[in-house]
Amino acid sequence: MEFFREFGEALYFISLCGEFHALIISGHGRHYSSGADVPVLLKEINENVVTDERGKLQHIPEFLSKNYESFLLLESLSIPVISAIRGVCLGSALELALFSHFRLCGEEAVFGLPEASFNLAPGLGGMYKLCSMAGLAFALERVLKGSTFSAEDALKHGIVDKVVPKKVLIPAAFDFARQVMQDFRVEKRGLYIKKYLS
Amino acid sequence: METINKISWEIRNDIGIITLDNPPENYLFQPDFVPLETLKKWTSYDYLKGIMICGAGKHFSGGGKLENLFRMIRDKEDINKKMEKGKAVLEHIENLDIPVIAAIQGICFGGGLEIALASHIRICAENALFAFPEVNQGVIPGLGGTVRSYMKSGFPRAMKLILSGDMINAEDAQEMHLVDFVVNKHKVFDHSFTFLQKLTRDRPLTVINAVMKALKNARSLSMEEAMKEETRIFCELAVAEARRRNGSGNQ
Repeated sequence: MEFFREFGEALYFISLCGEFHALIISGHGRHYSSGADVPVLLKEINENVVTDERGKLQHIPEFLSKNYESFLLLESLSIPVISAIRGVCLGSALELALFSHFRLCGEEAVFGLPEASFNLAPGLGGMYKLCSMAGLAFALERVLKGSTFSAEDALKHGIVDKVVPKKVLIPAAFDFARQVMQDFRVEKRGLYIKKYLS
Repeated sequence: METINKISWEIRNDIGIITLDNPPENYLFQPDFVPLETLKKWTSYDYLKGIMICGAGKHFSGGGKLENLFRMIRDKEDINKKMEKGKAVLEHIENLDIPVIAAIQGICFGGGLEIALASHIRICAENALFAFPEVNQGVIPGLGGTVRSYMKSGFPRAMKLILSGDMINAEDAQEMHLVDFVVNKHKVFDHSFTFLQKLTRDRPLTVINAVMKALKNARSLSMEEAMKEETRIFCELAVAEARRRNGSGNQ
């Protein structure tokens, strides 16, 4: 919860200040992130929702709508946003990565949307993105099973743009950022990938 | 087992099986190959977790017999109305909130391919063959086949498939995203059934329905709307799960 509040604020700052030329998102240490703490999240939601007598939701709690709004803001930034993914990248962390403009990952990276195995579903656009990037069958299988998939699989289905040895991941992300920030326009995403990442 | 217009329906465990049951080619009698009301009745059992569509015998389906269609026109039947009914049947399949797999072997032509394309996942045998042969008789696919093949394969490849009327094999079909998996020719049925069971067996129906709804939104809504819905769906599941966990904690 704390993460999303700070992330939203940082993003708002970046979007206004105009002094940055690119944004790289990576995890501290060996992993990108394994997403939200499910028990904490459930408690937070249960305390903040208003439902009618049939359990139907009246409206989305504000802290959750803020989360997806910050993902939309991230995607709309005019500077390139690159996720550099090492280790595990699960749940809302994968959703964060999917809203970056580019995704580079280490060879050993592991991806997944495991929410269904907790009787939940991804809630921040993960299903939307997975379906539009990799197609219905891939999204349906991975989300319903909640199973993880490898860097190789992610590359094959267009979910990451480049796989590199994990030791060179961060330098590669910086190199790419410097190349792409020269004339970044989001519509030219495919072109940059062809030019700099293949 | 129930049968109507050479289409059979049975339920095995919690999976419904629709069999195009007019061998050898499993030709379809009319655009609404199964009446919408019947299909709605079949698919309304609330314990169903998935549906498989397959062909009896060696083939999936050769599609509709165009001679039948031309005869209907001669007999002044309202062909447009018929086609609308057919499209409604395929839309019902596509919009189901449980997963639908087409298990394809042998030929999968015309209307047969249109049924397969309305399914959520297509698994085919390595010997499967696909085509839109309509153009050879001066017509085009009329049950959403042009739109759905374009969505899967993109403009150039969909155009080639529809305009040439040529057959393509399983490998090419997979390459152009017309099918999702290619498996051994003797194992299509078993593989598809097992796949569907593995996909759904550990999941409550509420989660399956939620995922299917969100993925339907991904195809039909703008990104902003789809995301808002996704978060709403997530919240509903989260509330139910939080209460379930609290409940079991108190016992």
